[in-house]
Amino acid sequence: MVEKEEELTLLETLDHLLDRGVVIAGEATISIGDVDLLYLGLNVVLANMDAMKRSSGPGRK
Amino acid sequence: MKSIVIGIHLKQTDVEPVADSMKVDDLFASVFSVDDDRPLGDRELLLEIAAIRARLLDTATFIAIRYGLAVRDENELAMKCAGQTKRWREILGAHRDEVEMTLKAAATAATPRPDRRDFKSGAAYLRALHEAANAVDIDSDFRRGVERTLLPITTRHRWLRDSASVELAMLVRRGDLESVRAAGESLRRDHATMPFLLSGPWPLEVFADDHQQ
Repeated sequence: MVEKEEELTLLETLDHLLDRGVVIAGEATISIGDVDLLYLGLNVVLANMDAMKRSSGPGRK
Repeated sequence: MKSIVIGIHLKQTDVEPVADSMKVDDLFASVFSVDDDRPLGDRELLLEIAAIRARLLDTATFIAIRYGLAVRDENELAMKCAGQTKRWREILGAHRDEVEMTLKAAATAATPRPDRRDFKSGAAYLRALHEAANAVDIDSDFRRGVERTLLPITTRHRWLRDSASVELAMLVRRGDLESVRAAGESLRRDHATMPFLLSGPWPLEVFADDHQQ
């Protein structure tokens, strides 16, 4: 359960880092292992929702 | 070397010594310098930046810059931020004692994404996309619980939706963070079968773009 919460916290943290905040012209195209971060962002959201359903409770930072 | 921009801050002491700072007009950007050949998508780099972001927020509230902006020097940063610093200064001054919290909940019924091939025009497709996103909602009892327990503690809030989830972005005074967490515990007890995630505190992310709403 602790591991799940840590995983959830990490995913949520990365989701905020990659998908939130002010967008300024000149952002680089980022890829991780040939997977575009646009897609990674989507996966983070999906993983979050899945983890949320499994844990059925609030996680927090 | 290139400098990854993390956030925009009111004072230099809000940035240093947690991160390096770059002056932008009369504000300060927190930056993290890396070798030119280090990819921005490096996992360790992402985690490092995320950790610095959290430590910066411990010091003072700042405007988050979405990950991916890297500059060579202050001149390049000034050029890219031209015209924005006046508004940023106002936002930072107005919300210095506040942070963001986020509540995410699964939608009661995920709306299928419209298929572009089903629409004769791009406008009709965009309208259908917008309607699909706004048709999503969360369990009404849970929503009432959120409105009763969480919203009175916030100074501002905004509901955000996509096709599978509903998110509540909240602006909260730092002194009220414990009350928000207690409200989250209360929601968990009262809605034990409702999957949701309460997270934060976060820097100014949603409410840094208020002028665009």
